[in-house]
Amino acid sequence: MKELDLLKKDWQKSDNSFEQVSEIEIYKMIHKKSSSIVKWIFIISIIEFVVLNSLSFLLPDDKMSKSGTIEIFITVLDYLSYGVALFFMYLFYKNYRSISVTSNTKKLMECILNTRKTVRYYIGYNLFIVFFVAVILLSNEIQIKFATNNDDGARIFFTCIVMLIFILILVGIVWLFYQLIYGILLKKLNRNYAELKKIDL
Amino acid sequence: MSDNLEHSFVKQLQENQNIIHKICRLYTNGDDAHKDLFQEITIQLWKAFPKFRGDSKFSTWAYRVALNTAITLYRKTKRSINTIEFEGRQHFLNDVEYDYEEEEQLKLMYKAVYQLNDIEKALIFMYLEDKDYQEISETLGISEVNARVKMNRIKGKLKKILNPLGV
Repeated sequence: MKELDLLKKDWQKSDNSFEQVSEIEIYKMIHKKSSSIVKWIFIISIIEFVVLNSLSFLLPDDKMSKSGTIEIFITVLDYLSYGVALFFMYLFYKNYRSISVTSNTKKLMECILNTRKTVRYYIGYNLFIVFFVAVILLSNEIQIKFATNNDDGARIFFTCIVMLIFILILVGIVWLFYQLIYGILLKKLNRNYAELKKIDL
Repeated sequence: MSDNLEHSFVKQLQENQNIIHKICRLYTNGDDAHKDLFQEITIQLWKAFPKFRGDSKFSTWAYRVALNTAITLYRKTKRSINTIEFEGRQHFLNDVEYDYEEEEQLKLMYKAVYQLNDIEKALIFMYLEDKDYQEISETLGISEVNARVKMNRIKGKLKKILNPLGV
């Protein structure tokens, strides 16, 4: 291709066309803060871990009447989720550490996406747990109310359905919010990764 | 990090800065975006520098980090039409024999290259820098054969942009 040869010739001649940056300017630059997506993913992920973990302390604990088995169940789940959170944080840290700007482009992209995936699984797991616990507690509530029989059964049932829908909507909003944050953050990366994978098919 | 390391880095970067300028020229439009990407690449190079053992040339190492930053890590994408870039370049050709037709062709070629996507630009960049397919494949993490195939496709794409009707 004749034009490409022409371009190559011009390209290789173009070295002196750039305004040279002085050593002093380079000194200044290396002390500035990076705005790379890796940094943002790290910050947002840490916030997610912190928020999700502190949420469990804030949730009202004793509002509902619990039977013995439910109480044990919730306590076990509590301890279990600390373990799970620690496990996810360890995975996240391991993936984060493996991100290296000196590895090849494809591997770098995979490392970043993997780091991100860890946090996404953690959020997915949390949303599932919230939903699961809500269902258990609600059904337990219905059982108790029915047993004591001091209220209109149909009305309780209706209230529970409304609450369930409300929880579903809440979970949906949280999920959409995440899609939005990471959609913006990772749009370019995802596009370029898809392109790179396409070449190697 | 020690002053020595800093000094050695700044010196080598200063000498090799055209690599970064060329990548910035390919991936950004306008002076502000150019400076912005230049700075981000410099920061990434500096952060990775302690691990640079010197078993490859500084420039080879810098190619990889700079491309990775432009394609993967850099986030600001200011979109505007790239017309400013080529205007300032006329003076190089002036001092050799001035060829109007060649000049026009070059302008069109630069414009066509700008229309490629990020990955295609990376391949073209390394091609223009006279890198062999082995280095291209190692830098991007694709096979050598596929790098060749893709390069041919890019040439075809450029031809099509230059001559959309195929006459």
